[in-house]
Amino acid sequence: MENEYRPHTLKMSKMTEETPDVYTIEMDSKNEGRAGQFYMLSVPGVGEAPISVASGFGRNLIFTIRDVGSVTSKLKNLQFVGIRGPYGTGWPWKEYDEVIGVAGGIGIPPIRSLLEEMMDSGRQQDLEVMYGARTPSDLVYKKDFGDWTKSINLQITVDRANAEWNGNVGFVPALLRKAHLSRMAAVFVIGPPLMMINTVKEALKLGYREDRIFISLERRMECGIGVCGHCNIGEHYVCESGPIINYSRVRNDKELFL
Amino acid sequence: MESAFVAISSDFQVYGAVERDGDVIFDRVAGFDQVSEERSRYAPKEFLMKRNENVLILNVESKKAVFGIKSCDLKGFYLMDKQIFGKDPFYTQKREKTLFANFVCSEPCNGGFCSSFGGPVLDQYDLQILREGEKFHVMVSEKYDRYFREFKKETGTFYVDFSNRFNSKLEPLPVEGIEKRIKWNSELWKEYASACISCGACNFECPTCYCFDLYDDGNERKKEWDSCILSGFTSSSAGNIRKGLDERLRQRFYHKFVYFKKSKDTYLCTGCNRCVEDCPVGIDIKEVITYDYNGE
Amino acid sequence: MSVLTVCPYCGTGCQMVIPTQTPGERVIGYSKSPVNEGKLCLKGYSGLSYNFSKERLKYPLIKRNGEFVRVSWEAALTETSNRLKKIIREYGPDSVAFQSSAKCTNEENYLMQKIARVIGTNNIDHCARSCHSPTAMGLITTLGAGAATGSINSLDDSKTYFVIGSNTTEQHPIIGTKIIKGSKKGKNLIVADPRKTQLAEIASIHLQFNPGTDVALLNSIMHVILEGNLEDTKFIEERTEGFRALRQELAKYSPEIVEGITGIEPGKLREAAKIIAKEKPTSILYAMGITQHVHGTENVMSISNLALLTGNLGVRGSGIFPLRGQNNVQGSSDMGALSEWYPGYIPVNSDSVKRFEILWKRSLPTKTGLTLSEMFDAAVDGSLKAIYIMGENPLVTEAAISDVEKGIENLELLIVQDIFMTLTAGLADIVLPATTSLEKEGTFTNTERRIQKVNVIYDSPGEAMPDWWILNEIGKRVGGLESYDTPRSIFEEIRKAIPNYSGATYENIYPTGKQWPINKENPDGTEILHTKSFPIGKGKLVPIPYRPPVEVTDAKYDFIMTTGRNYFHFHSGTMSRRADVLERESPEPYVEINTEDAKRIGVRDSQKITIESRHGSIETNVRTTEKIPAGIVFVPFHFDESRVNRLVGKTLDPLSKIPEFKVVAVRLVV
Ligand SMILES: Cc1cc2nc3c(=O)[nH]c(=O)nc-3n(C[C@H](O)[C@H](O)[C@H](O)COP(=O)(O)OP(=O)(O)OC[C@H]3O[C@@H](n4cnc5c(N)ncnc54)[C@H](O)[C@@H]3O)c2cc1C
Ligand code: SF4
Ligand code: SF4
Ligand code: SF4
Ligand code: FES
Repeated sequence: MENEYRPHTLKMSKMTEETPDVYTIEMDSKNEGRAGQFYMLSVPGVGEAPISVASGFGRNLIFTIRDVGSVTSKLKNLQFVGIRGPYGTGWPWKEYDEVIGVAGGIGIPPIRSLLEEMMDSGRQQDLEVMYGARTPSDLVYKKDFGDWTKSINLQITVDRANAEWNGNVGFVPALLRKAHLSRMAAVFVIGPPLMMINTVKEALKLGYREDRIFISLERRMECGIGVCGHCNIGEHYVCESGPIINYSRVRNDKELFL
Repeated sequence: MESAFVAISSDFQVYGAVERDGDVIFDRVAGFDQVSEERSRYAPKEFLMKRNENVLILNVESKKAVFGIKSCDLKGFYLMDKQIFGKDPFYTQKREKTLFANFVCSEPCNGGFCSSFGGPVLDQYDLQILREGEKFHVMVSEKYDRYFREFKKETGTFYVDFSNRFNSKLEPLPVEGIEKRIKWNSELWKEYASACISCGACNFECPTCYCFDLYDDGNERKKEWDSCILSGFTSSSAGNIRKGLDERLRQRFYHKFVYFKKSKDTYLCTGCNRCVEDCPVGIDIKEVITYDYNGE
Repeated sequence: MSVLTVCPYCGTGCQMVIPTQTPGERVIGYSKSPVNEGKLCLKGYSGLSYNFSKERLKYPLIKRNGEFVRVSWEAALTETSNRLKKIIREYGPDSVAFQSSAKCTNEENYLMQKIARVIGTNNIDHCARSCHSPTAMGLITTLGAGAATGSINSLDDSKTYFVIGSNTTEQHPIIGTKIIKGSKKGKNLIVADPRKTQLAEIASIHLQFNPGTDVALLNSIMHVILEGNLEDTKFIEERTEGFRALRQELAKYSPEIVEGITGIEPGKLREAAKIIAKEKPTSILYAMGITQHVHGTENVMSISNLALLTGNLGVRGSGIFPLRGQNNVQGSSDMGALSEWYPGYIPVNSDSVKRFEILWKRSLPTKTGLTLSEMFDAAVDGSLKAIYIMGENPLVTEAAISDVEKGIENLELLIVQDIFMTLTAGLADIVLPATTSLEKEGTFTNTERRIQKVNVIYDSPGEAMPDWWILNEIGKRVGGLESYDTPRSIFEEIRKAIPNYSGATYENIYPTGKQWPINKENPDGTEILHTKSFPIGKGKLVPIPYRPPVEVTDAKYDFIMTTGRNYFHFHSGTMSRRADVLERESPEPYVEINTEDAKRIGVRDSQKITIESRHGSIETNVRTTEKIPAGIVFVPFHFDESRVNRLVGKTLDPLSKIPEFKVVAVRLVV
């Protein structure tokens, strides 16, 4: 049997600072993960962290990472990154005619990956993206926005504006009202717990179907392969049955959101 | 028996339950007659997952045979298999290369409640040994059959009768349906939390608990037994889903009686009573089963 | 094989069984142990990983031009002894000092103090100074023995537990579980603690008193007892002296007056006092909440007053239980690794020192030596030139750290013998790699005076050697000592040196240990002390007037800070912070602040905050909790990245010289 725990090493080709505490790293290899899936990235001597793929399948492998602790603060300074995966489930966009991706804060990378995948299959017209951050300076991928708006309906909002900002102000769930796609669209939600709760509520209120809402769950993850026991929510291990999971499957779980 | 033991010894490193200074532990043994019939102090799951091991290098393991493990512990390993066999390479390799010879109890042990989960005669085993006076009844799996060609095989209802006899001596607990009776907001969890000191014994000594922690130590990445009673078990960058000790104690019982039942259609407990014996404050999983949740 | 040994963490001294031939480093509690009856706490189960850490020291190191260089043992030992000898030659024996360790065995502590004294100095001390020196001082004065009077097992027979200044379930978890189980069975539990500890939550009565007002609280409890004639007159008459003077003093402490000091409502206090006196036997358990004060010794004597007054000594279930911090604080104190005592608590300036002059065939120093903190002062003023530290990390654990830093800087020679490159070791001239207690043989004496055998389980990494071996080599070279070839041979000498240990042998203390005194009269050891009389004849009741703590709040420093341990870590964290499960549970320094206080000053959980005292300042993270009363903050001292002892001043208890770790006026700066 293969040693699933042993990471292989990838060369990092580029590092971009997105915001004061968020950066994007690009590997010198192709992404074998689907949008929504994640890899375990490691810093030798420090540890591992689950990080979602931020680029489309088959493109250069990209991750966008927020510096919150020991591993995430050190990844950006590496030349070679330890990596294993991809793990978990992806966004099931192929099963739906229309998709609305809703991302809050550092939830945006898997939606970026989704966008690239759908573009690469020529289905950008079936996708709308709603993205919110706390302030304009917390927005990542600013340089890509121009490109994206050419092909999709991209709505962006911030909780608190500053002098330069002339876009939407307010919380992400409210953006859902600006969607043009039908109420039969699948809604893919990812972000901080409170944002997800409110987005799901809003989507249901607006008449989107519960069994077409997919959420991405964040749990402490260590193995990524359903054996270490850290990531359970009820009978599911999020690293296997998630992180992308149909809302109707878990809606009654009392430990769904923090 | 001794001859089969010798034959096994030539192919395997042999271990057995033995008494040392009054505690039954596992150790190397040189003869079948050295193996204790007493239930060991702990479920010897370190044969399958070491308390602490480097996961960056997957060494080829030697073949090991462990005599004197009790049915409740072995059954625990079959339950663990359902979650991790074939996925964790370290566990899987050791599981394949370890022969467990389980001793079937003829009398209920102190505190054990295995009859609630079927009793000591297992239908999955490598080598199941039932002693009747000087006589040994042996059931052996195909994989190890070659060591027991000479043995006369028991036929008829011997084992079933034995099992029924045993189970009638040890009244099973009303475990059936516990996944529906158990209550999320029960007072029990708070009561337990006021006493529990988060020692982890109930997880470390359990034959079914498989959870572990991964961490780096220098140039090694280590896997170490973990405990869901601890708050760091679930702390993540998004927060902690189980901040309260009562919530964590509940997780343990819910995993055993609700979640595992839902995902694998069986309870994750074998009635070995280890978690009760080693809990320094006397928290008793049997109470979780028998408690009157409706009466709260 | 399986090996029986003793947990390396707290003073409870749980016995553990470690199978050595099976894979995977299994640890279980020893079921036959009267101490832990097969149970362990998380530190026992998951805390031993430090032993296998990649960061263990493996080779002797000498600093050359600011860098450590690996050298051979011969080179390290020769350099150590030559430099020590040179300093002694030039400046006299009192220019060197030794810091022993409550983490090391009795044999090692005995050997280190012997080396110091044979060289000609009583400059030998260890961390007992910072935890239980008031216990030794206080209880030796009042009862004649500075140790727990009963056994952990005897707590099963208590009807009432009075726990003061001890967060037992976190600091001595297995002893804590006795109390939890007792209380769940309906026994009385009275907890006096400023924080709402786990025991306080389940207590019959929680006296949440102001830090530093212990004497007032205890005096007031005794006042109520006398008021209601609940004292044990027979016991007082037959077994104590000094009652009249005590009564006079206590008269002043009516609960109504004392409420203004302690903040305890009189009704509650009365109820507690009645239970303590009436529902006998009552056991009194205390820890650093009592001792780490400028009035530490007085606090201890007040506890002793209470036990004597209520006749709660000498029978199972009664007694005084100072809960020892380190696994071997009792032993290292018994061994005389303290600047004012030779082994067996023989005062350095008494005639009885002759015993050791005969035993060691030398004339010995009789001048009291320097205590831990005095050593660093003496280094600052230049009179002390060399310190030899075994297994301690004063740069984290000592009060007034900046003085420690200055002191160390000023030394000509700093030798550190340790298992890891601690902050202190980093500053050393010579570092000697030692083995852990899982890699060596010897004995530990736990908090209930039980002498227990420690055994070799694992191989040591690299060239690390047992502390006793290293000391033996140094002793030979510097002190001209005869050579000991095994820990057993050192123990044989301890039996001669300390009458209370005379009956113990490596054979008869196996497997479950024996409690001292163990001698001809008590060949099986002694579970309960003072059953018929006290070693000093009658127990002394000592009137103790209440004096307020030295550190008080004012407009600027408006919070009282207390310091201590949490469940997951141990002292400077050298061991526990290398056990990943423990480190994960408590990865970063923090200050506990009452939820309301936090709201008032506008801080959130996890927010960075600066704590300033009159002595220094540190940065740490906020943790809000309802378990701590308003106006008080708690900071654990395990974290070398944020050393709380920078904030602790140098006010010492004049009797035992313990610094006041428990009451420091601070302010919080957002
Ligand atoms: C499926 C999944 C996908 C993720 N994708 C991204 C992403 O694309 N970009 C991004 O910036 N972040 C992502 N995260 C979050 C990221 O994994 C954590 O921020 C990271 O593990 C923190 O590691 P650290 O060592 O830097 O922090 P630490 O110093 O270890 O701790 C900081 C905080 O992170 C928590 N934490 C530690 N280990 C884990 C763990 N294994 N899993 C979860 N939380 C942990 C700690 O409890 C603590 O609260 C994702 C998480 C999950 C579960
Ligand atoms: S939960 Fe307790 S009784 Fe059940 S298998 Fe585990 S240790 Fe045994
Ligand atoms: S009970 Fe807890 S430790 Fe045991 S397997 Fe379940 S989650 Fe893991
Ligand atoms: S064994 Fe008991 S005290 Fe220890 S963690 Fe489990 S429930 Fe808590
Ligand atoms: S991360 Fe290990 S089980 Fe999910």
